[in-house]
Amino acid sequence: MVLTKKHQVIDLKTGQLSGHIFVDPDIYPQELKQIFGRSWLMIGHESLVAKPNDSLHTYIGKDPVILVRDGKGKLHAFLNRCTHRGNRTCRVDDGNEKFFTCAYHGWIFANDGKLTHVPGYEEAYYGELHRETHALKKARIDTYAGIVFATWDQHAPSLEEYLGDARWYLDTVFNRLESGTEAYGPIKWMEPVNWKTPVDNCSDNYHVPLSHGSSAGLETAYLGRPRTTLDEQFKSPSKHLSVNGHAITFRMSQPGDVRRAHGVTNENLHLFEQYYKETQADAERHLGKFRAGHVQLANHSIYPNGVLGFRLALPRGPMLTEFWHFVVVEKAMPRELKKALANGSVSNNGPAGLFEQDDLDNWRQVTDGTRTPMGQSLPQDLSMGLNHSGRHDEYVGEVSERYISESNQRKFYQRWEEFMNAEDWGDIALQPRTASYEGTATMKG
Amino acid sequence: MATLTTKSNIPIDVTDDELKLWFQFQKFYSREAWALDQRRYHDWLEMFTEDTHYFMPRRKNVRFKELDREVTGEDDLAAIFDENKTIMRIRVERLETGTAWAEDPPSRTRHLITNLEVEPRANGEVKARTAFLVYRSHLETEETLYAGGREDTLRHVDGKWKIAKRVVVLDANVIMAKNLSVFF
Repeated sequence: MVLTKKHQVIDLKTGQLSGHIFVDPDIYPQELKQIFGRSWLMIGHESLVAKPNDSLHTYIGKDPVILVRDGKGKLHAFLNRCTHRGNRTCRVDDGNEKFFTCAYHGWIFANDGKLTHVPGYEEAYYGELHRETHALKKARIDTYAGIVFATWDQHAPSLEEYLGDARWYLDTVFNRLESGTEAYGPIKWMEPVNWKTPVDNCSDNYHVPLSHGSSAGLETAYLGRPRTTLDEQFKSPSKHLSVNGHAITFRMSQPGDVRRAHGVTNENLHLFEQYYKETQADAERHLGKFRAGHVQLANHSIYPNGVLGFRLALPRGPMLTEFWHFVVVEKAMPRELKKALANGSVSNNGPAGLFEQDDLDNWRQVTDGTRTPMGQSLPQDLSMGLNHSGRHDEYVGEVSERYISESNQRKFYQRWEEFMNAEDWGDIALQPRTASYEGTATMKG
Repeated sequence: MATLTTKSNIPIDVTDDELKLWFQFQKFYSREAWALDQRRYHDWLEMFTEDTHYFMPRRKNVRFKELDREVTGEDDLAAIFDENKTIMRIRVERLETGTAWAEDPPSRTRHLITNLEVEPRANGEVKARTAFLVYRSHLETEETLYAGGREDTLRHVDGKWKIAKRVVVLDANVIMAKNLSVFF
């Protein structure tokens, strides 16, 4: 048990946040160990390694990892590090290979991790090298609705416990249909910000009408995007809530309502209406009538670094984040609608995104504002909605009274503190799962 | 698209017709670069047909023997740009709203366009390839250099050449920039 809190950064009585956590070069390596070393992290999607011997190069935080499906169809995640001197054994982004060969001395690893060939095994090593103990370092992996998660921590709880009842909400997008989803990407780019800022921003619905007004307004005019105004957001009955550090916002809907994601326009709305109408019965079978008919996941983050679904903020330094944008669509969707959502996804989010590009200078300057001599002595204010969240009769989690709140951000930094102060998983709390999961959906899909 | 990254044999001998065409498009691309750097974005938009397709695929690390899949194709649903003129128009018009924060205050850009190759097609269209270095300076001290190639399909519309399709391929895997809020 931790007796004294080493890191105390968010004051839950006042909502004041210490800004040094965004810039401090001593904090960052601790985060890699305490947070990225023990969390379940999204690393890929089953559809990106669909066939035997398919591989995807990815990261567990900062550690390069090969996600691979071996010849028998089993998924593995290996540290991309030769067990001889530590060189990478794979330098491509993706591929279909049975073996990974180290370019330094030619050690060869099979795609189930085993060391199968060492040049000079007899002549140089006298046959005395223990090949069995020199297999590639393996991570624990598990999947949720096709998304592959990994952790280095053998003592971490199951992925199901880790996600907890956040899954009740995530299911409404990632697990709506039994036929599942498929992913494309990633698009990769480098943001000069701390990784926590884009994560925190996910449940900041307050900024949307202001930061993104120029694109939202023109998309309303040209594409029929529903109007986004502050007033509408303030009065919205939609919800903002937190479970285990995962930040959820969702909209209340009616059965068969089209989820108004980027890419749904005046021109194709009737096709989406038809699709949602046609798949509603399947969705109800999978998620039960209530979730399938009335809950639509909106902006959200998956602790620690999942940003708006299966998109990753990969830590690259106190002031640097490598960002990965994936497009995820339902497999059952007609090709034309997948294409519409994909085009909407990349023209609004991602490096070219009409929405996302406007976030960057805000995020960078928020970070910078905690670095200057005077700035670093001043806190950030996350007091919105203090004492206006709690338990809800219908919805699990710490639920805000209003859609616009900073409660989720406070919970995120509270979770950050918890991980940073924990000796091990024994010090990290998990909310008991109490939500009722109607329908046939499971963690696996 | 593949011609941007794979080998193509270009004859060195030049006929007068070819010279004329080449010079015409040299001027075309020089004017485009000035329109962008002088922030005459509506003039730039005018250089595209109404049914234009603006596409930027991803660029992957693959083995030499698999270079045919280095640049993702149009069947990939995670292209960096994959859009029509309406979205391009939104990009341009939003700059005038006063709240397009990525470009307000605007970037200072310099589009250096070079290595022009022009190839007339039997249907009257022209394929044109160019290489670019785009320098961007933003706010106080931020600097970005974008390098890449473009392949355009140009069509003669009402007495003017217009871009009916543009494929832009960046020479980067992880794009070392905070965003792509400037035009290529």
